[in-house]
Amino acid sequence: MGKKTLVPLGPYHPLLEEPEFFKLYCDGEIVKEVIWETGYNHRGIEKLCQSKTFEQVFYVVERICGICSTSHPFAYANAVESIPGVEIPERAKYIRSIVGELERVHSHLLWVGLAGHFLGYNTVFMWAWKYREPVLDMFEIITGNRNSYAMFTIGGVRRDISPEQAAQLLKVLDEVERKTTLLVGAVMDDPVIHARLKGVGILTAEDIHDFGAVGPTARASGVDIDVRRDDPYAAYDMIDWKVITANDGDVFAKAEVRLLEMYESISIIKQCLEALKKTEAGDIKVKVKEIPPGIGIGHAEAPRGEVFHFVKSDGGNSPVRHKIRAPSFTCIPTFRRSCVGGTISDAAIATAAVDPCYCCTERMSHVYDYTTGKHIMSAAELIKLSQEKTKNLKAKLKV
Amino acid sequence: MDIEQYIKDIKIKFPKIIDAEVVNTKRLMIYIPKSSLLQIAEYLFKYLAYRYIIVTAMDSKEGYEIIYHFSDDSSGWIVNLNVMLDRDKPEIESLTPVVYGVEWIEREIMDLLGITFLNHPKPERFLFAEDWPEGKYPLRRDYVEEE
Amino acid sequence: MGFKEKCFKKSLWVFHMSAGSCNNCDIEILDCLTPKFDIERFGMKLVGSIRHADVLLVTGIVTRKLLPRIKEVYDQAPKPIVVIAIGACACTGGMFKDSYTFKGPLDTVIPVDAYVPGCPPKPEAMLAGVVKFLNKK
Repeated sequence: MGKKTLVPLGPYHPLLEEPEFFKLYCDGEIVKEVIWETGYNHRGIEKLCQSKTFEQVFYVVERICGICSTSHPFAYANAVESIPGVEIPERAKYIRSIVGELERVHSHLLWVGLAGHFLGYNTVFMWAWKYREPVLDMFEIITGNRNSYAMFTIGGVRRDISPEQAAQLLKVLDEVERKTTLLVGAVMDDPVIHARLKGVGILTAEDIHDFGAVGPTARASGVDIDVRRDDPYAAYDMIDWKVITANDGDVFAKAEVRLLEMYESISIIKQCLEALKKTEAGDIKVKVKEIPPGIGIGHAEAPRGEVFHFVKSDGGNSPVRHKIRAPSFTCIPTFRRSCVGGTISDAAIATAAVDPCYCCTERMSHVYDYTTGKHIMSAAELIKLSQEKTKNLKAKLKV
Repeated sequence: MDIEQYIKDIKIKFPKIIDAEVVNTKRLMIYIPKSSLLQIAEYLFKYLAYRYIIVTAMDSKEGYEIIYHFSDDSSGWIVNLNVMLDRDKPEIESLTPVVYGVEWIEREIMDLLGITFLNHPKPERFLFAEDWPEGKYPLRRDYVEEE
Repeated sequence: MGFKEKCFKKSLWVFHMSAGSCNNCDIEILDCLTPKFDIERFGMKLVGSIRHADVLLVTGIVTRKLLPRIKEVYDQAPKPIVVIAIGACACTGGMFKDSYTFKGPLDTVIPVDAYVPGCPPKPEAMLAGVVKFLNKK
């Protein structure tokens, strides 16, 4: 029996109001137990929303997560518009879908970059983030900001997409599609990435059902769920696209799902841009006078999975209760199954596979000796460990 | 999904159900007493294989209201179980033995609303700082901001 | 020119700390490193430990649970250190100022040298902020 070691992985990542701090209990190199601590980033957003008007809540929920800053307004719009039963103009539906899918492209590129960084492929990190920049620039042109787009409002969207912007967007998409092919080639054919990712952090379909995990995490385990198809909103039932799934449930499958999803997103945006031509410019909003008393439940598919919003109105100006669930809230606990039994050097990538905005978690992870409490390893060293493993593998595989 | 037939069937299966109504497009709310929660939740989650989404708790006029959200992904319906708790004795059986993923949200509700979940495997503080005063629940109606 | 500006002329090593932020500012900080902005060509780099840092970047509101941790990180920092508050939340509290976990803007907790407002500030704005601070007369 080796020495038991405590590896705190964390302390927080700011995806929701619940960032987390993992304590990995290890025996030698094998992870035995994962304990989740959270609350560092608790900002009391649900309570805050109750003091804002229905219109203002959009800009609060947008700031739950900077990367999913369209998904939360999307789900909130679905929830709040269902109370009076508003039907938004067709053009607004297409614009909403365009912004939502564009966000998926930039979010998945970001993930590919970070995953590359954790594996010691800094070139992938730099590449993916470089190709992400034109997408962000496009956001700035369409919505006015690189993140936190403030695009949605009750009854439609706030800005129209002009034909010139659409043409520009098409050009950027073609570029991104080419680069995606490049990344897909780099990931799918590399023997070292296969060796690092295959069979690591496996989640079965039962695990997914137990935790209620969603999004690419679930789809990589063969669980065929996608809110966009199951409960269609915006323009998703008016265009042709398919849900990507994989069956292995390991980190490689999750990477595969994300990479292939980007093609679908690009195709969705292209179809939406085509459809925009058939609708009348400027018809992007219907007026909603008031929200009657009632309950609105809305969900939307964010890059990381289903975002869920519950809104209760009593006929006044602001919601009386606003419950928010971001996808990571149910995906993160799956670490309990995916990390246990693996090695510490795989823990970094197994946790990153869920895409919990890992960038913030890396810098404050530390490894402590469990018995003495002595500090052994820091965050940078943990990533180094992961990177070294790749290096050794590379030497072994002679690539 | 034929919702009228569905409501009829589930009412026959569980006669303790107080009421069931469609609150919005594709959203079903089932009002149940707290004693039959585990039984009905198990039926939805294990037998019908609905996906657990989340639990909402709120301080409404009649008492503390807890809503368990389940999603039927094959039809897009969201089925909600609504339990009303007494204001004097906010206690309910924990759902963790049935739905593993509920553990975290139940701890969050304990923090935010002060509802006790009986037989919870780890009833510890979840969100709040170590120095957060005991007995202060920000989502309750009578909560006052300390200075 | 103050003491700090004199100390830190070149090759700043940056430690990035997210206190209750929404990830926007954090991602934009990381963006500064990537090929489009590439601050590494000035010798700046993100380091994994506060003990190696010349600059502490703080994003997000100061939440109740993080308050003691922020103070501790600041205490561990080698002095002199430049503290920069990135984003509206760190500067003033922004839209979260009414939250029950908000414990005041960053400058009420630790001394702050420069503020970069915006939600989120663009990478260009962050670079401009640092340049302005360094050129302070």
